Amino acid sequence: MEKDSELDSRIGQMLQAEKDNVIPRMTKKDYIIAAVITVISLIGIIGGFFL
Amino acid sequence: MSRKHDVNKEIENEVYCGTLPVLPKERKYGFIDALLVLSGYCIATWSYTQGSYLATLVGFKQLLIGAFLAAIFMLMIYQLPVILSVRYGIDIWIWLRSVFGTKGVRVVTVIIIIVNFPWYAVCCELFADSMENLLGLFGIHLFNGAHLVLSLSCVVIGTVIALRGVGTITWTTRILVPLLLLVGVAVVVVGFTSVPMDVIWNYQPELAGDADKTVNYVLNIEANFAFVITLVGGMAEVPRLCKSERSGYYAGVLGQGAAGSFFVVVGAVMAIAMQYVTGQMVDDPTLMMATLSAPILGLSSLLLVAFANIGTQAVGSYIYGVMLKSTFKKASYKVLVLILGVYVALLCVWGKITEYFGSFLTISACVYAPLAALLFVDFFFVRKQKIDLKRAYEEEGHNAYKYTHGFNIVGAVCLALGFAFSLLIYDPVKSVIHNKVLFMLTPTGASLFFTAILYYLLCKLPPIRRYVRTDTYASPDKKPFDRAKTPPRQNLFFLPLMWLLCKILTAPYKLKIDKINMEGVKPPFLVYGSHNSFMDFYVTPLALKPYRANYISELEGFENFGEWIYRQAGCLGTRKFINDQHLIKNIMKVIKRGDVMVIYPEARYANVGTNSHLTPSIAKLAKMLKVPVVTINMHGNYLQQPIWNLKERKGARLHAELKCVATKDEIEKISVDEIFSRVSKELTYDEYKYQLDNKIVINDEWRAEGLHYPLYRCRKCGKDFAMTSSGSKITCKYCGDSYEMDELGQLHSSSGETIHIPDWYEWQRGFVHDEIREGRYKLDIPVRIWALPNSVNFVDCGEGRLIQDESGFSLEFDNYRTEKHETLKFPAKSMVSLHTEYDYRGKYGPCVTLSTYDDTFFIYPTDESRDVFNPTKIQFATEYLGGLYK
Repeated sequence: MEKDSELDSRIGQMLQAEKDNVIPRMTKKDYIIAAVITVISLIGIIGGFFL
Repeated sequence: MSRKHDVNKEIENEVYCGTLPVLPKERKYGFIDALLVLSGYCIATWSYTQGSYLATLVGFKQLLIGAFLAAIFMLMIYQLPVILSVRYGIDIWIWLRSVFGTKGVRVVTVIIIIVNFPWYAVCCELFADSMENLLGLFGIHLFNGAHLVLSLSCVVIGTVIALRGVGTITWTTRILVPLLLLVGVAVVVVGFTSVPMDVIWNYQPELAGDADKTVNYVLNIEANFAFVITLVGGMAEVPRLCKSERSGYYAGVLGQGAAGSFFVVVGAVMAIAMQYVTGQMVDDPTLMMATLSAPILGLSSLLLVAFANIGTQAVGSYIYGVMLKSTFKKASYKVLVLILGVYVALLCVWGKITEYFGSFLTISACVYAPLAALLFVDFFFVRKQKIDLKRAYEEEGHNAYKYTHGFNIVGAVCLALGFAFSLLIYDPVKSVIHNKVLFMLTPTGASLFFTAILYYLLCKLPPIRRYVRTDTYASPDKKPFDRAKTPPRQNLFFLPLMWLLCKILTAPYKLKIDKINMEGVKPPFLVYGSHNSFMDFYVTPLALKPYRANYISELEGFENFGEWIYRQAGCLGTRKFINDQHLIKNIMKVIKRGDVMVIYPEARYANVGTNSHLTPSIAKLAKMLKVPVVTINMHGNYLQQPIWNLKERKGARLHAELKCVATKDEIEKISVDEIFSRVSKELTYDEYKYQLDNKIVINDEWRAEGLHYPLYRCRKCGKDFAMTSSGSKITCKYCGDSYEMDELGQLHSSSGETIHIPDWYEWQRGFVHDEIREGRYKLDIPVRIWALPNSVNFVDCGEGRLIQDESGFSLEFDNYRTEKHETLKFPAKSMVSLHTEYDYRGKYGPCVTLSTYDDTFFIYPTDESRDVFNPTKIQFATEYLGGLYK
């Protein structure tokens, strides 16, 4: 029972934290950087075929 | 209290607390902390095994590309979903319940452990190798079978440490990671100083005669994909401790892709150096250091590597033991760790895990690749970065992730197909390539893309989407349906299939179609049809054959069957009883391009098989379009499946009459009133009269069940919402007055009175009109509200209040768009009727709908208002207040 109320309370707090953006989100810039790194890696992998 | 009990309690606590959401204030890790922790996990002696395996496949430059770029490429994709772990403070095993179901995730956990745990057998083999090799250097040769004894001793010691619980493991980790780093540094120094740099840089493996360089390069990439992908399982606990999504994500990518890969390259350098010096490629750092530097360094490293391997085995047993414990809560942690120990011991007895290292990696990746694909697609495209936490934790009353007896069949099927797909490309055990083209994508890559596309497309199919997205309310798609979008013409390839389907579905009811005045009538023309049931959509295309047509459809149909398929069928989406100017423009476009436009002007199914009053606007539209006007009056459709009971009546017979009521020449000459009069006359119908006249016998025993929805007022005692129905009878629950529905659709009282159902229906309407005229009509009830913004999903708006009075409707509720408690007003004069359902989709019960331009609100009674919520009475009031009956 105690554990359930602890879980309930934590879920409630997490949902509120999500709503308030307490945990900093990945930004558009972060996603763009990730995409660029992914593409560069892919190009490198393809380039490896020619070595 | 015994020590044993302590450990169990500790583990219980670890399992419980270890699965709870970690709150923002409890987060420990920034980017650097997370990077160090994850790097520590990735650095193990098996990195050397991976490095020396890669050195047997490709040259050093290609090896570098594989170790770093392939690893980072895969991680950039695979690690993205950890964002969710960070956001909610949960590990992926909790989240996976939404993908595989609450029981399905247990099966997946076991599969992952089965494919992952051989890593620890590699550790034990390395431990035994180190001991044997080093003793060999001192001239000590062990007895036959000593290798197995050594590797099993690693298992036993590791398992014993794991059994001692959290405290021992914490200390083991604290010692282990620096030790491994120390070994790594020693290997790097010795490796790079003992052979010339260009030997390593220009290294090329000696390949067997039939070996293909390209194939080896792909295997190199594959091995790196597999290497990083299979380590994720053990790292799943870390991201939820991170303070930001970015730190969790990039720490995961760089922990494996940079630190882990660096040690793989170190292993490769060591192997290349050993081959250069001794002619033998080995993956044992102890032997290398003893050979390339001095035996004393080898001896020192032996102690480090020995402890490192035992420590890795112990930490692995602990992590996976806890993972199993959180999945199988009733099982003893001790038993689970022992099972894991036995599993590794069996692999050691088999003794070929190092020989089949590449195969083991690929088989592991065959499971992990589809899993990764499911996580990625589910996170970004299906669940749109949101899950229902309460349901993920299986809180009481929150069962959405139970799916089918705890298993998400769609997730399981995709995982199985993804696994099979990679095996169809490459047999990792026999090293046989089955499909050279797809092999170029690597088995892991191909399986990843195949599973991702499969899962994405399956989730586009409405029934599957509804099955998978039982948590829609957590992240609903709120984008309003695009009513302005030009409807496509009916798909020419789709059309024959559609006709075939219509033919099959109407065949049991012996559909007969009569065409009157239709000679010379060619598209474009306008069709007005009667609207009785969904069967109308099967009869109309057959009546219009060979022409293709466009149909106006309520948005709800788009949601039910899928937007793509509805568009191919030529449907124009709209909402009922709103002033939709886009719809008018689209109708004009259809006519302008020379097609047939079909409209069901009643905009609602017949409640008791009789037509609704039409509005003159339909005649004005015909006049404006200047094309022939055709009517299609369909008989039997209502009798086959009346809206108040959607079970099909096999005895029904269908008849449709297609009639041109105004030619192109006439339409320009006759008045709007004349057009209206002709259309109204042709769309007048009484299905019970048709049944009686044609002696259509419907003898299903349940034929009157549901009839109390349209016939809600007792004829004898005059009470509203008094009727109930069962079998072939409709009865008043207050006075007991009862009527039997005969096989020709007529009602008979016990006193011998015969009632024509539409008469009873219209008789009720009069009382509602009286209530309104006398100022007595007022509806004010609690309701349950679901909004339909588009063709993708309903949005749960919770409970609210529905008020109907002389001014129209007021709907009080929590508006999901504004996130405020609001009251929407629907003026009486803006609605000539109301969409009603008696048992929506056969399972949701009675409802009425109210529409704005961007939402259709489906309004259901609550338990409190169920007895006074009758869609028919609300509709009567709406039609009167809207001016349809004045």
